[in-house]
Amino acid sequence: MTGLNQMTKGRSWTTKRDAKAERVAGIAGIASGKVIPTDRIVEAMEKLIKPGDRVVLEGNNQKQASFLSSALNEVDPKKIHDLHMIMSSISRPEHLDLFEKGIANKVDFAYAGPQSLRIAQMLEDGKLTMGEIHTYLELYSRLFVDLIPSVVLVAAEKADQEGNLYTGANTEETPTLVEAAAFKDGIVIAQVNELVDELPRVDIPGTWIDFVVVADRPLVLEPLFTRDPRHITELQILMAMMTIRGVYERHDVQSLNHGIGYNTGAIELLLPTYGEQLGLKGKICRHWALNPHPTLIPAIESGWVESIHCFGGEVGMENYIAARPDVFFTGKDGSLRSNRTLSQLAGQYAVDLFVGSTLQIDRDGNSSTVTSGRLAGFGGAPNMGHDPRGRRHSTPAWLNMMTSDDPLARGKKLVVQVVETFQSGNSPVFVESLDAIDVGREADLATTPVMIYGDDVTHVVTEEGIAYLYKATSLEERREAIAAVAGVTPIGLEHDTKRTRKLRENGLVALPEDLGIRRTEAKRSLLAAKSVEELVEWSDGLYEPPAKFRSW
Amino acid sequence: MKVAFLFPGQGSQEPDMISNLPDHPVIRRTIDEASDVLDEDVNQLDNKDRLNSNRNVQVCLLVTGIATARALKAEGVKPDMVAGHSVGAFGSAVVAGVMEFRDAISIVKRRGEWMEEAYPTGYGMGVISGLTKRKVEEIIEKEKTEDGPVYLANVNSDDQFTVSGSLSGVDRALEVMRNKGARKAERLNVNVPSHCPLMGTVAEKLDQSLKPIPFRNPSIPYAGNRNARPLRDAEAIKEDLASSVAHPVRWHEVISLYYELGARLFIELMPGRVLTDLVCQSFPTARSLAVSASGLHSAKMLTEQIRQM
Repeated sequence: MTGLNQMTKGRSWTTKRDAKAERVAGIAGIASGKVIPTDRIVEAMEKLIKPGDRVVLEGNNQKQASFLSSALNEVDPKKIHDLHMIMSSISRPEHLDLFEKGIANKVDFAYAGPQSLRIAQMLEDGKLTMGEIHTYLELYSRLFVDLIPSVVLVAAEKADQEGNLYTGANTEETPTLVEAAAFKDGIVIAQVNELVDELPRVDIPGTWIDFVVVADRPLVLEPLFTRDPRHITELQILMAMMTIRGVYERHDVQSLNHGIGYNTGAIELLLPTYGEQLGLKGKICRHWALNPHPTLIPAIESGWVESIHCFGGEVGMENYIAARPDVFFTGKDGSLRSNRTLSQLAGQYAVDLFVGSTLQIDRDGNSSTVTSGRLAGFGGAPNMGHDPRGRRHSTPAWLNMMTSDDPLARGKKLVVQVVETFQSGNSPVFVESLDAIDVGREADLATTPVMIYGDDVTHVVTEEGIAYLYKATSLEERREAIAAVAGVTPIGLEHDTKRTRKLRENGLVALPEDLGIRRTEAKRSLLAAKSVEELVEWSDGLYEPPAKFRSW
Repeated sequence: MKVAFLFPGQGSQEPDMISNLPDHPVIRRTIDEASDVLDEDVNQLDNKDRLNSNRNVQVCLLVTGIATARALKAEGVKPDMVAGHSVGAFGSAVVAGVMEFRDAISIVKRRGEWMEEAYPTGYGMGVISGLTKRKVEEIIEKEKTEDGPVYLANVNSDDQFTVSGSLSGVDRALEVMRNKGARKAERLNVNVPSHCPLMGTVAEKLDQSLKPIPFRNPSIPYAGNRNARPLRDAEAIKEDLASSVAHPVRWHEVISLYYELGARLFIELMPGRVLTDLVCQSFPTARSLAVSASGLHSAKMLTEQIRQM
């Protein structure tokens, strides 16, 4: 006992705190208070960051700490090297330049869509070591377990001298990233567009922030969730009608998340027209965990939507959102408060349904957006596109998925895939084997990068019909239902069409006519808005689309 | 936003491609310089008959590409990265400052001659679209024979591939591909089996003759045809220029790589617009422009616009 006591006594319990204090003291001559001068950021980084550090760099799919990522590329690789980068999204060229220069050597991430070829090449060439590929929530969670960061680099709109941050509409994951360092003796540096005396509101308190630096140019924001209704096809409208009738109405879906795409855009634009004709207003689609899709404006304006909690913002939607606080979460300054961590949690546990699209589905319903030679990662879709088995509260839609009267039976999240049987360019969506298997093998990943697992998918909607997979009593039946709606793809061609009648009778498959939908009704005239211009009209001029979406 | 220059390869040649170049002092000087190195008038190489020779095609492609690039440079348009398809890679090496134009001209002339001598008749290439790469590879594997060799040559996009080999092998593979649902599967106007192992001896000769030529590290990234990597080292580029003639050109990955590196304007040097169409198809959010269709002035205006974004 005495020996143990002595060991404990001799040990310092504040090594991390002491190390942080030493690093911070090292830039006493550079920073004035919490403010690092713009032109001395590289020098400051060279003192605040040490080789081998775990560094979180804020790059999610919308807001980018672009000034800090450029600055990190300027540090001397002799002084700072072998960093272990943790990034929810690898989306800018300079994120990977860090590895080419030897400043960093290992990465853990969630999404790398915009750099997916390069990251695969660099992995193959041994220029970077892969940690793991995560979903957003997993990556955020690990920041508090075994990926606790030494340094966190984030972006905000404004700061004051105390380091209080205003992140405005694009709060996104900043509070989560900051928390992981601020309360575990890590160093937090925030780039801001401007330093002001008084903030519109405080999104992150200054006591969590070590340093702020005014960026040489405003942070980069990508308009990722804008889809021009002009490009919505009649096939997509047909699938949207089927989804509204055959899924939302049938199962009484009250709360939901939509992925981004023209398929879901079509559903959003049909609510005020087709949905209204069916008398569904106020009965379905009332609560959303969703980015502020401009295509949802007509549904909001016609009173369909009671609430929306957002992962992030969307360029051009700021004023519209600020004018609709009954629907959106807003701060006392009036602007949107988004929060990716909480919205992902909401999309995982609190909504009835997730609907998304994909590039490939196999015969068992597993799906992937991976194409050959690329490592795109997952982002947030799997957080929402699965049945969270820890869920205990019930809703009508969740209960509706029960298929037995076992006293211990439970409900299920609705996970819906809406796809055309062929992608543009004639590649079949329904395939014998996912490309993801080859990609996983080539990149030596521990598991195949499957986006949504087949056993989580409850419905597949195609232009042929709907497969109600949750009703399947065997793998055989599930495969048959998928094949029945797979058209003339290799999977669809294996299907004996004579069996379709039986599947329809048993409720495993519904064709448009079974849902009372005539294919000829699926016209663009059904869209509540047929162009971005009409979305602006619906918003009473409050929505201000980015230049690239203005065609008038 | 960055700008990439693209040098077209074989298949883009067209009669009068030299005489159709814009009238620009830099372009006239480039043609004279090439004529001087070759000791013959390059202006005479671009008629329909003389373009039946692989050597003349390759020389004319290099001259038109470099002439256009130099004219653009004179107008203040400079690329952030450069790529060339097949023989176009030599042009890209010149623009990246890796090798001298004079050295490129004499080596490209010999490249054309060697390719022609290796397979004077009975060999060629085909192009396929509307099948997946996996399907194309499967069919080639099944259809190739000792007497009728056929290989996957270039991956131009997710949806467009070329094959090389003996004409009997190429024709047989194309027919099977048509039957298996290819939207298009036809012979190309190329009389040599490029970018496959049949070109192994040409690759060796190129390797030998490139050895003594002085190379410098590139001032901007050069795209490896063979591995689709941004090459930044003189020796690696030399290796690529020699060996790629016997290996598939991974063009789709080259363009994807440049897009990921930030290129949002792709300028295709003269002649033709083959590469521009491929960019349009694969990356609808990027701008792409063929100088042959839009002219030097539009290239200048668009570049200025992109640089401000």
